[in-house]
Amino acid sequence: MKKHPQLLSLFAFIALIIFVVVPFVPLILSSVSFSWRWPDVLPESWSFRAWEYVLNDGRTWQAVGISLWIALIVTAVNILLALPAANALVRYSVRGRWLFEAIIFAPIIIPPFISVMGIHLTFLRLGLTETVLGVVLAHIAPTLPYMFRAVMISYQTLSADWEDQARMLGARALPRFFHVVLPHLLPGILAGASLSVLISLSQYLITFIIGAGQVVTLPILLFPFVSGGDPGIASAYSLLYAAIAIAALVGMDAALKRYYQLNKAPQDSGKGVKP
Amino acid sequence: MWRKSKPYLLLLPAAATIILLFFGGIFDGLLKSFGYFPAIGETELNLAAYDRLLHSASFWESMELTLRVAALSSLLSAVIGALIAVALFFLNESTKTTSPKAWHRLFQLPLTIPHLVAGYIVVLLFTQSGFVSRILAAFGWIDGITDFPVLVNDPFGWGIVLTYAWKEAPFVALMLYPVLSRIHGSWREVSRVFGAGDWQFIREIVVPAIMPAWAIATFIVFVFTFSAFEVPYLLGVTYPSVLPVYSYQLYTSGTLSDRPEALAVNMILAAITILLGLVAYYFSKRWNVLKGWG
Repeated sequence: MKKHPQLLSLFAFIALIIFVVVPFVPLILSSVSFSWRWPDVLPESWSFRAWEYVLNDGRTWQAVGISLWIALIVTAVNILLALPAANALVRYSVRGRWLFEAIIFAPIIIPPFISVMGIHLTFLRLGLTETVLGVVLAHIAPTLPYMFRAVMISYQTLSADWEDQARMLGARALPRFFHVVLPHLLPGILAGASLSVLISLSQYLITFIIGAGQVVTLPILLFPFVSGGDPGIASAYSLLYAAIAIAALVGMDAALKRYYQLNKAPQDSGKGVKP
Repeated sequence: MWRKSKPYLLLLPAAATIILLFFGGIFDGLLKSFGYFPAIGETELNLAAYDRLLHSASFWESMELTLRVAALSSLLSAVIGALIAVALFFLNESTKTTSPKAWHRLFQLPLTIPHLVAGYIVVLLFTQSGFVSRILAAFGWIDGITDFPVLVNDPFGWGIVLTYAWKEAPFVALMLYPVLSRIHGSWREVSRVFGAGDWQFIREIVVPAIMPAWAIATFIVFVFTFSAFEVPYLLGVTYPSVLPVYSYQLYTSGTLSDRPEALAVNMILAAITILLGLVAYYFSKRWNVLKGWG
């Protein structure tokens, strides 16, 4: 076992590459192929026809915009709902805590489409179907538990003493929140936000039921192509969709790092002056 | 008064939103599954939809397919996930040049890929004229398209299983890896002092250490695949279909009389997932697997 660590790690490396990277190869090849008949492992001729179609179609960018817009509103609402709730559950003794946790975490276990199919006719009567607002409301339940959990973990490491200290030094409620509590919670909020954005972006069924084909997010636009449409265009759309999901995650991460760099700078210079 | 009710007021917006939007929807569906449709003058509650459903062959076939697909997906993810975790473990042990974080990012990639895209990747890989079939043909192992088995849009559900195995194995690995990395090299040395061989070390130390997390991760994948819609909708066949797709087919079939049945399927699904969720929660609490989950 320990005799060939180099060989073993090389083997592990190759296996990981095959598992993670190779599945993307046909997707990429198919998006830039012109004709790709069966026994050929590589396409006969290449073309950017599919990418031109996807990137020049106005519907693509409209769908990207609407998907991100919905994800953004959902995430903002989640932050506003999760912050006070997590605060209450972590820092106060709440009677019936298990009940509140069960309520808020329920959408992780019970698939949200069950609720959405049930509420569909009520939404229809209220005029919420075929609207962005309706879709936003449908996306809140499946995403809120993840935001709530992330913020709760951050609150668990925030000592009440820090706030008491700020209070002693004369900070009022709002400055206390913005200068003491919020900076500490930010990594948790961003972790929750990435999950919230990712889950909102990947909803097909509940968006389709409530949006009724009128609110065209990326998965709605993609579906007819992947279920038997032009493989080149389907592949290009799939890659774009995956890239946006990954970019949303990487973007959040980068934002957090940038925030820390900006906040670190004055401290460092302060240290330099001290001695 | 304020001091006592403050936490409840803070909890109110989140709890009320979930109760209204989520449980409200489930309750709405429950009423309609009992045949309560005031819009068309039906205000009497009855169990007709459940009765029809439990006596229909297509429901039970759908149930069988759902259980099979969920069981195979979770078992395959469990095996591949454990292999990934072990592979990562060895990579981090032997390579000091690259930071471990880069590896973690790479193997988590399938987790971030949307389900529809993952499903389409499996279509391109495993259809009869897909990429795997082309590679086999290039090696001369198969001679025609029809020599390759039907793995996508097949009645058994292989395409769905393959998609979930790819997407959920990193999740299993993510749950296992922290446990695995807690097994120090010193444990290996201690076990050798007591005369244990490699195989004994794995059987007596490694497996018992990772077992609880492994079981819970597999179970979570099972519950998730049991109630997921997108992948079976894309990669399954019209009949038999998994329960969520079956419910959707009934709901959109056009006749209003099928809707109570669709919602009855949903209620049965909800009941099963709640039950499975409670089991998972009970054991994870007992084995202390999901730290930070409350």
